Amino acid sequence: MTFYGYAGSILDIDLTSGTVRKKDLPEEMARRYLGGLGFNANILYRELNPGTDPLGPDNILVFSTGPLVGTSVPTACRTEASALSPATGLFGTANSGNYWGGELKCAGYDALIIRGRSEKPVFIRICDGSVEILPAGRLWGKDAWDAIKAVRKDQGDSEMQVAVIGQAGENMVRFASIENGPFDAWARTGLGAVMGSKNLKAVAVRGTGGIKVARPKDFSAALDDTRRAINSSPFYEAFKRFGTMLASIPYYEFGSLPGRNYQTGRPENWMETRTRKQLPGLSNRGVSCQACPIACAHWVRVKDGPYAGLELKDMEVTPVIGFGAGCDIGSLPAIAALSGACQRYGMDMVSASACVAFTMEMYQKGIISRDDLGFDLPWGDEEGTFKLLDMIANRRGIGNILAGGTRLASASFPGSEVFSVHVKGLECFLADPRGRWSTWTFGYITNIRGGDHLRTRNPVENLKYNDNPVPYRTEKFGLPDRVYESLDMPPELKKAAFDPDSRDVNIPVMSKWSEDLISIYNSLGMCIRPPVLHTVGPALFSRLTTGLTGLDISPEDIALAGERTWNTVKLFNLKHGEKPEQSDFPPRFYRDRPADPGKEPLDPGAVKAVLGEYYRARGWDPETGVPTPEKLAELGI
Amino acid sequence: MAKEILIKPSLCTGCSTCSLACSMQNRGEFCPSRAHIRITKMDFEGRFEIIFSSSCRGCGICAKSCPSGAIKLIELPEAAG
Ligand code: SF4
Ligand code: SF4
Ligand code: SF4
Repeated sequence: MTFYGYAGSILDIDLTSGTVRKKDLPEEMARRYLGGLGFNANILYRELNPGTDPLGPDNILVFSTGPLVGTSVPTACRTEASALSPATGLFGTANSGNYWGGELKCAGYDALIIRGRSEKPVFIRICDGSVEILPAGRLWGKDAWDAIKAVRKDQGDSEMQVAVIGQAGENMVRFASIENGPFDAWARTGLGAVMGSKNLKAVAVRGTGGIKVARPKDFSAALDDTRRAINSSPFYEAFKRFGTMLASIPYYEFGSLPGRNYQTGRPENWMETRTRKQLPGLSNRGVSCQACPIACAHWVRVKDGPYAGLELKDMEVTPVIGFGAGCDIGSLPAIAALSGACQRYGMDMVSASACVAFTMEMYQKGIISRDDLGFDLPWGDEEGTFKLLDMIANRRGIGNILAGGTRLASASFPGSEVFSVHVKGLECFLADPRGRWSTWTFGYITNIRGGDHLRTRNPVENLKYNDNPVPYRTEKFGLPDRVYESLDMPPELKKAAFDPDSRDVNIPVMSKWSEDLISIYNSLGMCIRPPVLHTVGPALFSRLTTGLTGLDISPEDIALAGERTWNTVKLFNLKHGEKPEQSDFPPRFYRDRPADPGKEPLDPGAVKAVLGEYYRARGWDPETGVPTPEKLAELGI
Repeated sequence: MAKEILIKPSLCTGCSTCSLACSMQNRGEFCPSRAHIRITKMDFEGRFEIIFSSSCRGCGICAKSCPSGAIKLIELPEAAG
């Protein structure tokens, strides 16, 4: 059939045999799973057997774009990459923007499946209809930046889009990333190690084809309304200027930063050194992903000090929280340099900074010493942090142990178990739930990929208040009424999630909805930054996808596809051995009293009660969190 | 009144919305490689070049879609000669 919106083909490459197959996109899959994360969940759940070695030839790596990618719908640029994760042993998945996905679509493919293992290092070159597996040659051993430059030079195409691994991926560091161009990445859950295990250095793409629109008039009207909705967000201008650095101050004020590996929620001198207030000295302009009006990333130029001359796209809150709070690195230029190092090695900044923070705490508490490291490693030590990252990426000395992530590493250092702050093997990030209890922080334990903050988020996250009117069960809604009114959300769910009188948000219900909503975004290829997440929902998505693809997809179909995707990933995790007790916070949050006044450890009974309510809201068994047969029948899985 | 497209490359964020919009308007599909405007991305330097091809029809759709003000449609008062 002729597809609109979708490219209509899936590229399926087996590196063991060297075969390249082009398959038609099944319409049924497009309707039921939309694209991106949905496709990956559907494919991997069907094809990966229990007992598969994440770093063996039987693991499958899938990249899927969404139907909206390659159009001018704001922020429609994103590609989901997924495989069995070497970090968690469960569903590994990461989402990235930039231009790679748009290029793949224009080359004619919605998805790329990579199987097997090449005997020698190779890279894949996709130029429209021509797909080749070529020897990696001198690319192997290069860091991500140098490898991208070399591919572009060899191919004589300075703008070729390249997904690539650095040394960390080659050495199968369990939190290695796949870099997406120089400064973006499919970062979390160790997908770079999967690429490395397949002896695959890079996937370079160039596409010159086009994407057709089924019903141009309807699509164009939906596009105008989408633009208007996003531009009307109270976050729009602020996000254009500060990007995710907007979170740098509120989370300090909540006392919820992971300071010194979660020993303090308010690192010293934070406000003077590591917030959006210091940003203007480093950057005064944004750089964008394809089709995005927000341009949330900053072009950074360090003018003076030890890192003078450094230029890169950075100053997202991720490295600022990870290195700045977690390791207590005290200046934005040093943090920018560290994030550049992670980009070159190809390592997830969240897990990499968590590993350094874990090691610093072991050093502080005397579990390891200078003799184990070869140098001292006090909190905030920049030189030691660079050295340790290099040792991890190249698996040298203690770095070889840390390359397994903090869960595995803690087994080698008795007494360090409580310093490993992870859920399901994935290091936690951003907010300490003892300082800030919200849909967002509760989401660490329900998240399909482990201790992470990007798969569950109240679309109307409120940074004004930090109250929990009904402890653990509600958070306060603090945005203007018009934001609440325009929230694009099924009406009966809206009623269940918000109490309009008390202005409380029901966390279990909101968690379910936000997970489904974010799954929709990750499937259609849209970005979840706040100005978009709380203005665009099933109603607009239905109009956009129907106008674009000509497949009639109702708002209910859209919402159901999100829920179907989340449930499919849950089934994948259960199939691969996830246990109910893994959906829980690490011991530190229950046992340790934070240094900041007024903060208490979490109450395990209250957490369990709220988790049960969440399972009920999902239609899952309230004790075990297993989807019930009725729910699966409803979703047609 | 005559219209002119004003270009300020330093404001360009590289989003390519202009070339996507141009190709949709003038070629009937989203296809940056067939647009009459080209954004060259020098991503390692964080710089973008805006190049109009000689085939540009001057319709201004690209400028209307630009979110950063890097290309802008302005009206020229004829009297100023
Ligand atoms: S908001 Fe930021 S991350 Fe999202 S698409 Fe735009 S530039 Fe990319
Ligand atoms: S003015 Fe030229 S480049 Fe811009 S949309 Fe029209 S034809 Fe394309
Ligand atoms: S000129 Fe405007 S629309 Fe075109 S890439 Fe630059 S910022 Fe985007």
